[in-house]
Amino acid sequence: MRRLLLVVASILLLASSLLAQNPRTVAGRVADETGAVLQGVTVSFPGGKTGTVTNAKGEFSLNVPAGTKQLRISMVGYETKLVAITGDNLQVTLGLDAKSISEVVVVGYGTQRKTEVTGNISSIKGGAVAEMPIQSFEAGLGGRATGVQISVPNGVVNNPPVFRIRGVNSLSLSAYPLIIIDGVPTFTGDQGATNAPLNPLASVNPADIQSIEIAKDAAATAIYGSRAANGVVFITTKKGKQGKAKFNYDGWVGWTNPTRLPKLLNAKEYIEIKNEGILNRNPSATNLYVPNTDANGNMIDTKWYDVVYRHNAFSQSHSFNASGGTENTSYYLSGGYTRQEGILRRNDFGRKNMLVNVDQKVGKILSIGTKLSYSNEESLISGSSGSLEGEAFSSGGLARLAFLTSPITPAYKNDGTYNVTSSGTISGINNSNSVGIYNPKVLLDLDHSNTESNHLQGSVYAQLKPFEWMTLRTVYGIDYMLMNNDIYRNNISGDGASPKGDAFSIYTQLKRWVWTNTMQLDKTFGDHNFNLLAGLEQQRDTRQRYGLERQFQSDNYFNNTAGGWLIDLSSGLLRRENYLVSGFSRLNYNYKEKYFLSGNIRQDQYSALAPGHKKGVFFGFSGGWEVSKEKFFEEGSLGKIFSNFKLRGSYGKVGNMSGLGDYDFMFLYHPLLYGGNNAMYFNQSGNRDLGWEQSKKTDVGINFGILKNRVNFEFAYYYNNIDGLILYLTHAPSAGLPSNIPANVGSMFNRGLEASVNATVLDKGAFSWNSSFNFTYNKNQITSLIDGITEIPMTTSGLEQTSINKVGYPVGMIYCVPAGGVDPATGRRILYNPAGEAEIYNPINGAYTYLDGKPAQSLGAKTAQPYANTNPRFLGGFENTFRYKGFELNIMLTYQAGFSVYYGSNAGLRDQRYWNNSTDVLRRWKKPGDVTDIPQLINGDNVSNGSAYAISTNVFKGDFVKLRTIGLSYNLPSQVTKLAHISGARVYAQGQNLAIWTKYPGPDPEVSSNGNNPSGQGIDRNTLANGRTVTVGVNINF
Amino acid sequence: MKKISVYTLLLAMGISAGCQKSLLNPLPASDMPDYIVFDNADRIASQLNGMYTVMKNGKFLGGKFQIANEVRGEDYNNELSNNVTLQATWKRIVGNEVQEVKEIWSQAYFTINNANLFMDGMKAKGTKVVGDSLSKIYIGEAKFVRALSYFCLQQLYARPYWDGNGAKPGMILYTQGHTERGNYNKARNTTAEVYAQILQDLNDAEAALPKTAPGTAAGTTHANWYSVIALKTRVYLYMGQYANVLTEAAKIVSATAPFVSPGGHALVADINKVYSAPYTSVESMFSLPFTGTSGDYPGTQTQLGYYFTPKSLPLQGNGEYSLLSTGIISDSSWKSTTDARRKLLTKVGSKYYMTKFAGPPPFTDWAPIIRYAEVLLNYAEAKVRVSNSVDAGAIALLNAVRQRSDATVTFAVTDFASPQALIDQILKEKHIELLGEGFRSMEVTRTGATFAARATYVAVPPTASNYIWPISSDELVYNKLCVDNQ
Repeated sequence: MRRLLLVVASILLLASSLLAQNPRTVAGRVADETGAVLQGVTVSFPGGKTGTVTNAKGEFSLNVPAGTKQLRISMVGYETKLVAITGDNLQVTLGLDAKSISEVVVVGYGTQRKTEVTGNISSIKGGAVAEMPIQSFEAGLGGRATGVQISVPNGVVNNPPVFRIRGVNSLSLSAYPLIIIDGVPTFTGDQGATNAPLNPLASVNPADIQSIEIAKDAAATAIYGSRAANGVVFITTKKGKQGKAKFNYDGWVGWTNPTRLPKLLNAKEYIEIKNEGILNRNPSATNLYVPNTDANGNMIDTKWYDVVYRHNAFSQSHSFNASGGTENTSYYLSGGYTRQEGILRRNDFGRKNMLVNVDQKVGKILSIGTKLSYSNEESLISGSSGSLEGEAFSSGGLARLAFLTSPITPAYKNDGTYNVTSSGTISGINNSNSVGIYNPKVLLDLDHSNTESNHLQGSVYAQLKPFEWMTLRTVYGIDYMLMNNDIYRNNISGDGASPKGDAFSIYTQLKRWVWTNTMQLDKTFGDHNFNLLAGLEQQRDTRQRYGLERQFQSDNYFNNTAGGWLIDLSSGLLRRENYLVSGFSRLNYNYKEKYFLSGNIRQDQYSALAPGHKKGVFFGFSGGWEVSKEKFFEEGSLGKIFSNFKLRGSYGKVGNMSGLGDYDFMFLYHPLLYGGNNAMYFNQSGNRDLGWEQSKKTDVGINFGILKNRVNFEFAYYYNNIDGLILYLTHAPSAGLPSNIPANVGSMFNRGLEASVNATVLDKGAFSWNSSFNFTYNKNQITSLIDGITEIPMTTSGLEQTSINKVGYPVGMIYCVPAGGVDPATGRRILYNPAGEAEIYNPINGAYTYLDGKPAQSLGAKTAQPYANTNPRFLGGFENTFRYKGFELNIMLTYQAGFSVYYGSNAGLRDQRYWNNSTDVLRRWKKPGDVTDIPQLINGDNVSNGSAYAISTNVFKGDFVKLRTIGLSYNLPSQVTKLAHISGARVYAQGQNLAIWTKYPGPDPEVSSNGNNPSGQGIDRNTLANGRTVTVGVNINF
Repeated sequence: MKKISVYTLLLAMGISAGCQKSLLNPLPASDMPDYIVFDNADRIASQLNGMYTVMKNGKFLGGKFQIANEVRGEDYNNELSNNVTLQATWKRIVGNEVQEVKEIWSQAYFTINNANLFMDGMKAKGTKVVGDSLSKIYIGEAKFVRALSYFCLQQLYARPYWDGNGAKPGMILYTQGHTERGNYNKARNTTAEVYAQILQDLNDAEAALPKTAPGTAAGTTHANWYSVIALKTRVYLYMGQYANVLTEAAKIVSATAPFVSPGGHALVADINKVYSAPYTSVESMFSLPFTGTSGDYPGTQTQLGYYFTPKSLPLQGNGEYSLLSTGIISDSSWKSTTDARRKLLTKVGSKYYMTKFAGPPPFTDWAPIIRYAEVLLNYAEAKVRVSNSVDAGAIALLNAVRQRSDATVTFAVTDFASPQALIDQILKEKHIELLGEGFRSMEVTRTGATFAARATYVAVPPTASNYIWPISSDELVYNKLCVDNQ
């Protein structure tokens, strides 16, 4: 708040300092941030009176009446600037600022002028994510728009971020927004099916993106009906503009390092700690840990972090594009290459991509065009990182092995061979006690779990404009992902040791086509403006997968399915399809561009719902009032304060079906064999009444600008009531049902406030300062589940019960046993039973007692309680851009607050089995009277620190502020660029995740072991943390 | 105007191509919808096999049921301390949430529901398709599957029949199939009620099933008149109704040696034949078959061979459990040099392993469920108990089993001081003969014996709560009427 006041104060100061000017002719030149001149830029006087446009050289000249102090410089796709008339020849730079208020926004099946939009849409320029060291654009959206939560769940490259719009809106199905790329809905989520995640959105080179629109309320999303409940994101790629051919190269290189890793015991400390535990359990124990020595007789002290993590992981990206156009033809061609190393060794992402956008006018009324994008992506990893959903407790999970494996044992034996036992585990050399699970060095050296994807996205369209007021358009689009999984698990150590080598080749084909036919009518009758859209659309998905698994390799030489193997198995067979057919319509009306009304309706029929329930009708309507255009406002005192003032509101009903299995409603028999003979059995219980999840969304908002729109504010309140949430119901096993049955039985709401302010804080000729701040408050609550059942626990990776969905609480509460500190008298952990009574756990005999020593009931997963909320209550971002001559400094902070994280890894870091520990255990309890948070060490104790079941000791506040990006760029002066025969050049340096301010003790509170699963968020269990990246790059225009 | 009609036409084309109704109702490629599975005889026959397929899942009679019964006994040592491979069961400290407690419970009920659904479907449609005579057989087989499943559940999750003469809580009985979501809260029936249902099913099956020739795949892998009678001898034995055991056994065991059934079931000369391909010996009355095809062998960490066979080339098990030197292998009357059954043990280092299922991954050795040898020993025991004497007929049956493997031993009436001594010898013979085949724990509980102490784990007397397993926690959470074992 204090920051906001400062901003406002400085603006007021600046406004009063403006001086009057005499009438004269003013000329100037407009260029973009790279120094390339901009043609067709509108130069006008503030207040809307007409001005002029720049010519091919980016120049303009115009007569300025007396008293005019500023010029308004604007162009679609660029930030609008108010430039003080400080001389006769103005040099203006227009930025592709992320938060610029554009004039046109993309909406479903078309575009709309920003001023006419009554739905809630946030618009972000592609430039905001273009040069970031990320694999997919949405990872760069954090903090840039209200209501949008982006959390990067781990440091594995190409992992889909957690993406929520206005909170979690589904429990069992996907809570990911619908992503529309150039009109074609695309696949989302991890599609890789290996240990290397593959995010389909990574096929889009962020440098090719023109704009990103995030539609949040029913009015903006209802045109997508049954798929709109999680919000809709529109991605528009760049197109050519009329004019001379332009060429652009952008390239950067970067280095990433792991950050905030917990400090571990060294070999000497490990021996001291573990032996203390053994002797505390049995003072006469003799089988103690002993040091190992290398060939030179030095004590082995292996830094497993260095084995597993990569320092200065190198990344590079190169994008080249050419664009241009004539009166009838425009084109945009681009090619890109990127290769990005993760902080985990052997974890890489590579992409080669091409994009062609061509538009052609044929005669006066017909235009046609095509878009074709191809990308080849590689997601590479050795094996489980322990970080994807379901992997948290993988025996070979590398993030865990890095901290779990004892420092006293080496990666290699002294004879140079791998340190493994015959059963595939890591050996303790001189120790018969366990020292770890698998040897991570072997897994990293020999295994692979790779996905290669060939991703094609394209569309062709034809558009007829028989009359000025009528547009007929047909678009046929495809989205094909053709993927190959190549997996090998070695025969020495790890999961492949038992089958003596295990290799998979799996081919997956995801194909989607979408055919959209629309008619749009635009008509004005006097002051009444109408815009009617009607359309029909079909979308069909087919999925096919088949694969080969081979086991028992004949020789270590072979490491893929083509080699010599004993056993052949089929693997991953799948064939599925779904079909969505829809009709939709939208009517926009406004009177004098002052009163706005809009209505959307869509009927969807979807194949994956039960017969009789396939059809759904969804709608949204909204209204807006441009108060500032009212006479009383313009002429009254309000008009002096507010340069614009708009009220808007919307209500509607939308649906969700994303993530629902194609045949989940059906009752199915599965074929299998019985001793080589045909057999089949009842394998799936369906639901004859399965329908949509439905969200009723309400949204009201105010947008206003002050000081001639130098400061713009947006406020919104929303209420999203979700009904018919699909839950997969579990029945008593005695019923003999083969599967959980999907049913529309839950309800939940999200309620919140959003606020944002964008300001040109300073704009004094060469120096300017733009600032934007946004804030979202969200409250989520489950209001009902199933008749009789009010809570559904959730288990992380099938092993640890960590979360619960419970009526009256937000989704995904941490579910654990409340714990106190360490009893100073006994050194034991204090835990609380459901009655709130303190109990003490004795790791020696496994018994629970009350503080007075009387026996007490045992505690565990069965006595867990909903403990803490994992949904960020507050989130947002704060961005500042400073420009001085050719320099630009951009600082972006993001924050999330009001939530907790279960730091499950901490249980492992203090586990008193053979696991290595964090240096926290050095402050353990030793003698009566010691006051500490680490219990007495007892070998084998996995309860006192929370490994056996989750305890509240490992729950922490997750609130954080991150220095998400800081970037500095410099436009080379034109004298220099001219010498080099280029039209503009910019060099830049950027840092990502450079700093974090949080009380969370783990590496990163954004971490999520359960990926995008809404019911299991806020769990940090054995997950790879995020890295810190520094990049330098150059952007050149020819 | 002409132009306009062209546009209108184009628009109309777009709209008319709008919707392809058939695409809205796609059929899955990998599974068959329920409304067509009784349409023809082949599909019905597939479903018949399907009941057995569900039963032979490694989580039930394909492995874990037998493994659990084995390792609860006194014969094994847990080698790998892995909770996933029945360590808790071995320790006899089993909670409601232990994986095997939940898996065996649910897989058995899944089998029962498949049998019930099959019978419901035959009634509604299938009988008309395959005809009355075939339908009768199919339903008889379904009843056998249901009876065997309930019998198995009773052994782990309920107090033995002798405790209160069946009055203690048994399983939850269902004889109708379930497909839909709904209210499945139901209290447990008594053990007596469950046994009554088992016997009713077996009696119906006896009336319906043919006398399939032994030594064939069909005679081994599908229930028939002989296997139903054989199972009845076991059920009556476990109920303590020994006279009924005699009645049933007499139907399939000749009065004098060599003991054979009317159809030709007999002990095979070489016991190894029982455990090796083609697994269809005349001794194998009911076995669950496996092949190396995907889905036709037991799943990971459920296979008999994986648990009991050591990892010592050429053997490729995982050596989860070795044989304790204090268990049955220490018995001196089981001769180490002459008894062929000792050849089914393998020594690695200082440890012995049970290697009846020695085949390599993916572990396709068939799981024997009912063998003729068991029937002979059931018969022998019942003879002694009914006559309460050192019964010569019983000794003849005992000798048949022993001498098949060790011709050097002959038991005589004079060897036994009392009828109980003879019973003890018969029980020991069963222990030796059926080692590894999943009888040990249920033989202990049936006879009211104490689970012997071994290593650091104390003996478990019949009065102890861990004498049997607790009920699956999933059942207790979702079926509010089900009570746990005390």
